[in-house]
Amino acid sequence: MDHAAKTIAASLAGAVLIAGCGSETNIYLELGVPVEPYALPETAIELPPLEAQQGDGLPDTLPEDLIWVTNEDDPTFASPDAKRGGTFRTFISGFPLTLRRVGPDSNGSFAGFLRPNQFGPIALHPDTRRAIPALATHWAFGADGRSIYYRLNPKAHWSDGVPVTADDFVYAVQFMRSKEIVAPWYNNYYTDRIRDVKRYDDHTYGVQGANPMPGAEMHASYGIGPQPRHFHVLNDDWVANTNWQIEPNTGPYQITKVRKGKYIEMTRKADWWGDDLKYFKHRFNPDKIRVRVIRDPNVAFQYFLKGNLDTIGLVLPQYWHDKATGKAFDRGYIAKYWFYNEQPEASGMYLNMADPILSNELVRFGIAHSMNFDRVISTVLRGDYERLSTFQIGFGDYDNLDIAPREFDLEKADRYFDAAGFDTRGGDGIRIRDDGERLSFQVTYGSPLHTDRLVVLQEEARKAGLELELDLKDGPGSFKKMLEKKHQIAWMGWAAGGLAPGYWQFFHSANANRPQTNNLTNHTNPVMDDLIMEYRASTSLEDRIRLARILEQMVHDSGVVVPTFRVPYTRAGAWRWVKLPEWVAPRTVASVFSPFADTGGFSGGGLFWIDVEEKERTLEAKSDNHSFGPTTIVDTTFRTQPAG
Amino acid sequence: MIFDRLRQSFALNPLTVKQWRRFRSIKRGYYSAVALGLMIVLSCGAELLVNGRALVVSYEGDLYFPTYGDIIPGRTFGLDYEYETNYRDLDAKFEEQGSDNWVLMPPVRYGPLENNLTPGYFPPYPPSFETGHYLGTDQTGRDVLARLVYGFRIAFAFASLLLLCNYLLGIAVGSAMGFWGGVFDLVFQRLIEIWNMVPALYVIMIVASIVIPNFWTLAAVMVALGWMGMTWNMRTSTYKEKTREYVLAARALGASNTRQIGSHVIPNTISVIVSFIPFSIATGIFLLTALDYLGFGLPPPTPSWGELLSQGQNHIVTAPWIILSVAIAISIVLVMVNYIGEAVREAFDPRQFAYYK
Repeated sequence: MDHAAKTIAASLAGAVLIAGCGSETNIYLELGVPVEPYALPETAIELPPLEAQQGDGLPDTLPEDLIWVTNEDDPTFASPDAKRGGTFRTFISGFPLTLRRVGPDSNGSFAGFLRPNQFGPIALHPDTRRAIPALATHWAFGADGRSIYYRLNPKAHWSDGVPVTADDFVYAVQFMRSKEIVAPWYNNYYTDRIRDVKRYDDHTYGVQGANPMPGAEMHASYGIGPQPRHFHVLNDDWVANTNWQIEPNTGPYQITKVRKGKYIEMTRKADWWGDDLKYFKHRFNPDKIRVRVIRDPNVAFQYFLKGNLDTIGLVLPQYWHDKATGKAFDRGYIAKYWFYNEQPEASGMYLNMADPILSNELVRFGIAHSMNFDRVISTVLRGDYERLSTFQIGFGDYDNLDIAPREFDLEKADRYFDAAGFDTRGGDGIRIRDDGERLSFQVTYGSPLHTDRLVVLQEEARKAGLELELDLKDGPGSFKKMLEKKHQIAWMGWAAGGLAPGYWQFFHSANANRPQTNNLTNHTNPVMDDLIMEYRASTSLEDRIRLARILEQMVHDSGVVVPTFRVPYTRAGAWRWVKLPEWVAPRTVASVFSPFADTGGFSGGGLFWIDVEEKERTLEAKSDNHSFGPTTIVDTTFRTQPAG
Repeated sequence: MIFDRLRQSFALNPLTVKQWRRFRSIKRGYYSAVALGLMIVLSCGAELLVNGRALVVSYEGDLYFPTYGDIIPGRTFGLDYEYETNYRDLDAKFEEQGSDNWVLMPPVRYGPLENNLTPGYFPPYPPSFETGHYLGTDQTGRDVLARLVYGFRIAFAFASLLLLCNYLLGIAVGSAMGFWGGVFDLVFQRLIEIWNMVPALYVIMIVASIVIPNFWTLAAVMVALGWMGMTWNMRTSTYKEKTREYVLAARALGASNTRQIGSHVIPNTISVIVSFIPFSIATGIFLLTALDYLGFGLPPPTPSWGELLSQGQNHIVTAPWIILSVAIAISIVLVMVNYIGEAVREAFDPRQFAYYK
């Protein structure tokens, strides 16, 4: 085993080293339960066997020297006080077009209810961000740095009782590569990124990906989930035939009732295989989840106020401060939760270096010092948002918290603009260069909700002699203009995700000055290119963290991004009977009232429970006009304070 | 007065005098016209009434008139900045110092683009005499009254431009269709019917996705898609008039086509045209308001009624002064324009004069 792979295993510090080289058979025997045979449907169509490309391929026999690890040592995060029972009532804005998990129309908002109920081999701990057992009990990393081997929990089974076996994972790749599912993105991902999958026995299999990566990230990228081989009949009619079929899954809930156009009901599995697992205990508590179709968010809010929905999101300042007020809140029937979380964020003004004036870094620095974000935050944003300090943040250890954003400082802006040659002001107060060029830029943006923020910045920037011309387009229209690199300044935010920050797509010269890439700044820097490639190729977590911090600093130094705002929290309202653990939620959750495992890429959901007795008490108090006193919980445990 | 002069210019035609008298006798229409006229005149000089810039500043013995023209940087008045002077602060400063320097501010001391924000105090701010925001502020701390006034001016200018272009085109094409008839009429009818089907909103959206829309591009698109309305009326009127004896007489005397149309047909269809004008103006104002409301109008931060309307809708409970201000303003203008339109139609209605004794 090479050094790199050992470092990965070691870097999963705390993960229990189950066995050394060559002893994996013993463990297997300890865990092993024979698989009950089951029949494949007669109509099943044999899919083409997987063929590895040149240079790829897993070994034919399980390598002897694998170090099998698991993780039973991280803290649990669910409350032992949780009670099972009750119905959790929530809503979606439109009835799903399909109940499939892949294929046409499957990417709608209902996917958020289907996919989290389809578990993968491992999950990610919502506090430590390390792998925890799910379908697999143990895992091991291959010597090539890009393959992982998993040992399945023999108890794991599909919702129809059929055991989950290694064949379901091999089938998953065949399935995802097949043209019948009409899902080009998956076709491509399972061909381009997932290079090989191999069954070693009923409960052991390996997956090989395209690039080496550190352990946790490899799980996230290559830890593919299974597909029920006994269920699918892949033929030309697959898309139509499975559109309204309820596919077997491995998670705690399964759909039990569908009223087309009205609601979908999911029921908790009584004998779910995951109930005994350390990190799944006391979770997924409601017996039923009813997902109602309510098209208008204002109407949904009225439903919530009447007690017909259990929770509602209150992230927008207008909702939290203005709408979520009144009797039900003052008397404590509804509690308000404000939870600071750690979610990746990247919102900014991306300055296009292909523009002849913006290519001058003095101008870019001047612009950064002319932007009065504090004024926007303390007025139109009601003091809720925070200044983002750097291009991206929220990746835990990867974050470079030493960077202080360039502050609003007219003197500094003056000096930079003067040095760039914009040293005189025209009759309208806007700076001009000797050749008559005005210091004026178009800011392209895609949401009318942001106009408020921009007009304040615009007025303040005039003080520095800088003119911003607001170019509001509809969402897709603005992004199209940015991807075509026709903007001067792009005002937008990335839906950042994943475990580690990305740099190649945003700053590598391979993506500069080419349309349809995410390098919106057209940034090029050969030194940075090398570091980015080193960062991508590195499998050592320490190295990657070190490089990411350097890269983040380089982005800051180049001034191509003026970071704007971050919303470092999630907010929600919930009726009194919806209970949360004392610690509210783990740090990485995107939403504290998610009924399912996965929220924001980590397994932090499903912690709340419905207290049926409390519900009776609350409704009684409501009819008696009895007050419990207002309940507003602001949890700042995971609030990070970057420099500046 | 203007009206006297108007009367003089129409004095040649006794019919016009009659129509004018009749119009004046319809009180609510007449007073609406006077009020609206006054509003338009005042809005033309809005900078003198509603503005963040001072009317006069007396500093160290020199007089400054900042209202029109280039900005005067703060340094001119002994302040420590290069950007435009904040005259309200300057006023307060001079007062505090008790010096001979003074600032004369307009009655409303805020411009339509100024964000008058107080950190820690969240807009929209309610109406207050103390701060001088007589109708409160919008959600970015801009004075609602200032935005109403400047928004009205822009909308009115837009509507007038639209009216002028639409009528020029519509009258020319419509008269030609009615006068020549036959194949020419047939072809244009079909062309107009087809052109009518082009959805204006989509065209605006497409234009907005290519360029940042401004006053002129929006007006050009709206004229390109809106001139057809007038053609139908003109076509019918011309058909009717061209068979009248006086047109036949003109033709018999050898008048050219242009002369027949220009000097005989159009003056006799003027009542049709004039009675449409107030309603066209109203349509123009509301067209721009609707576009701004939907977000396809003039780019921010241009003051506009439509933008105020959509803000007001969002803050209907928390800041009712926004929606109330703009809704009342729209209602008043709508009612006035309708009164004027009614009065004009009545004044130009020939039936008033066609009775037998």
